Amino acid sequence: MAISVDPPEVSRNLAEKSGYTFPILSDPDASVIRRYHLLHPRGGPDEHDIARPAEFLVDSSMIVRWANFTEDIRVRARADEMLAAARNLR
Amino acid sequence: MPWWALAFAILSVACNFASFVGFPQPAALPWLSIFLAVVALFLLVAGLIRAFDRRTIYGGKILSIVTSAFALIIVGLAGFISMGARKLPSAASAPQPGQQVPDFTLADTSGKAVSLHQLLESSSQSQTAPPKAVLLVFYRGYW
Repeated sequence: MAISVDPPEVSRNLAEKSGYTFPILSDPDASVIRRYHLLHPRGGPDEHDIARPAEFLVDSSMIVRWANFTEDIRVRARADEMLAAARNLR
Repeated sequence: MPWWALAFAILSVACNFASFVGFPQPAALPWLSIFLAVVALFLLVAGLIRAFDRRTIYGGKILSIVTSAFALIIVGLAGFISMGARKLPSAASAPQPGQQVPDFTLADTSGKAVSLHQLLESSSQSQTAPPKAVLLVFYRGYW
């Protein structure tokens, strides 16, 4: 699932446009983003707080099995990298 | 040559946005941008030297200065974007492999509350077994 500070309407547009079927959650006041220590203060337009990009694979006991933190917003984990990490869990 | 410098400078800026159109190797983009900017600077200097050296043959002195100035500004813009893209806060205190993440509940696109433990316990297709893991993707947002 995906998490950002976008309001649900914006995420709904994104999901419809791109055909995404996974849950896209809204964290408008960045409270969960803060709890995960992923806040990028004033990183968004109008200086509002957003999330820094990060990807986690969390197992059924909520333990992180794989994580990826980019140092460059142009370079994110690709879908095939994340799928490979998921397959490695078995 | 200044025109080529301008073209490479524009490409150097453009490739910073190539990841949005599904560029297959995003990890190479920052390097590609720097490479194109260096090529642009090289062409720019070479073009200016040529324009001033052989002005009897090549008459476009003012034009080459104007074009070079534009190319230089755009190379500067590419550099600015590159610096901005790397200005990310550290993720050192974020949950690392082996650590437990905190549970949370947030609204999905239809406003329905969804929590992490709920997703881990039950599958969205109710008949199948619960998932082995959930992928959490934090992203900057599509403002």
